[in-house]
Amino acid sequence: MSEGRLSVVIVDDEAPARMLLREFLTAHEDIDIVAECANGFEAVKAVAERQPDLLLLDVQMPKLDGFEVLELVGNGPTVIFVTAYDNYAIRAFDVHAVDYLLKPFSAERLGEALGRARTRRQTREKLPVADLVASSRPRKAPIARILIRDRGDVHVIPIDKIDYIESQDDYAAVKALGKSYLKEQTLADLETLLDPARFVRIHRRFILNVARLSRIELSVTDSRAAILTDGTELPISKTGYARLRELL
Amino acid sequence: MYFAGWIPIGLFVAGGLGQVGQGRSVTTAAAFFLPLTFVYAFVCLSAWYVCRVFPMEAGGRIPRAVAVHLVAAATTSAVWVSLAEGWAAALDALFPGFDARALHAEQRSLLFVVGVLLFWLVAVFLYLLIAFQASREAETRALELSLLAREAELRALRAQIDPHFLFNSLNSISALTSSDAAAARQMCLLLAEFLRATLRLGATERITLSDELDLAERFLSIEHVRLGSRLLVLREVDPGSDECLVPPLLLQPLVENAVVHGISHLLEGGTVRMSASRGASTLTIAMENPCDPDRPRRPTPGIGLDLLRKRVATQFGDAGDVRVDEASGRFRVEVRIPAVTAA
Repeated sequence: MSEGRLSVVIVDDEAPARMLLREFLTAHEDIDIVAECANGFEAVKAVAERQPDLLLLDVQMPKLDGFEVLELVGNGPTVIFVTAYDNYAIRAFDVHAVDYLLKPFSAERLGEALGRARTRRQTREKLPVADLVASSRPRKAPIARILIRDRGDVHVIPIDKIDYIESQDDYAAVKALGKSYLKEQTLADLETLLDPARFVRIHRRFILNVARLSRIELSVTDSRAAILTDGTELPISKTGYARLRELL
Repeated sequence: MYFAGWIPIGLFVAGGLGQVGQGRSVTTAAAFFLPLTFVYAFVCLSAWYVCRVFPMEAGGRIPRAVAVHLVAAATTSAVWVSLAEGWAAALDALFPGFDARALHAEQRSLLFVVGVLLFWLVAVFLYLLIAFQASREAETRALELSLLAREAELRALRAQIDPHFLFNSLNSISALTSSDAAAARQMCLLLAEFLRATLRLGATERITLSDELDLAERFLSIEHVRLGSRLLVLREVDPGSDECLVPPLLLQPLVENAVVHGISHLLEGGTVRMSASRGASTLTIAMENPCDPDRPRRPTPGIGLDLLRKRVATQFGDAGDVRVDEASGRFRVEVRIPAVTAA
């Protein structure tokens, strides 16, 4: 991207809404629209491929909502939310969106938001957006699915499809549906997000979906192992065993 | 009124117990019994407390209430009899030769029985009064409740139109104004027609199913502008169903849900299918749409469906029924209500 110009990706599942943004944006000389996306998957792909400066992001979309898109694309682009719903505003600022446009909006209001975005780009703050999104999530309810970005592709894994999760340094390998998905999040982080009634940290390196547990075996060395319904064997630590017993 | 009722009772007691026929003077009988009866009228009001504390209701402890009344009547009557004795003595002292004490002595046991019976008479009267008051109160309460229900229903109807639907529609109009002015105007007209129909039909008790489905279709055609080819609509109505009467806006929460929780979560969208068929006595309306089984769900069932269930329950009781069914990416709500047409 040339210096001083702003590359923009428009994300909205409604064609008229995208059309309106495009029309309003043509009035701004320094804006290049590099992609238009009709859903969250396209948005994640477009951000990965085009590395835009700015994301104009709808909240309510099929499959992935705006916040989930943001969680997946991390701290690359600056974000302006565009939505008809005013109830996400607080969360939007929690994740450091520069602005929050309520539909319908005027060209001037969009101009103001773009002004803020330019200022933000100049200061070049780097923010831990993914963490912010995670921490802005309504606290009480455990997550219902895990989102994993694999370059431009997105995997949405409902948590009841998960067998277990294995720690791999700063990543977590989510084992589900016979595959392994690598998520850029520590096991400790994931543990706090999952329903404690269904997932147990049985070992420093493993979180188990209790529904997959078939039996517990005691080996000669006095250590225990969890045998999963598909035959997989995972070690159980002493504290892990205590946690598991408490739950069962 | 209560004391007026006691005048004939007093005369009756004086006549019955006065032994005028056996040579007693009418004056003695009247002077002795009439004041005595009126005093007893006051005393019997004490039955009010007994009646209050021991109500005669189905499921209440009736044997206990009866026992309490037996004891209370006997006690009250005994007090009355001794009061009568004092009164007789006073009369004799004031007017020698009045012979009241002799009269009292002769009629003491009968006086006691009359006292008990009178107490019970008053108790019965009071129970009737209490029951009458209770039924009046219940009537007023029922009336108030039905008024409240009607008001709540109207408020709910108005609230059924999700304001975000309006914001999104206005945004579409804003988008269309420069690129396709005719389409923008068309959208304005659709929106105005829909809102006007909502207001007009919402104020009526019943509308025909065809009007209701027209309204639903109008809503969907507005959403179609926003969602484009992702939203398709199919209407399949058996002959004879169209004229059936339904509460206005009954289907509104369903079409709204079909879009908000169904179509809008699907990348490719799908078809909202509205169908209706009429049996011998029931009208079955079904709304079916594809949905994403992995969509984020709310922990509680939505207010839209809840409202629909409440409306069907209050308006049709056991004759109405709402069934929700979700399987393999299809969401279906079936509403059954009695098939009624305008005369």
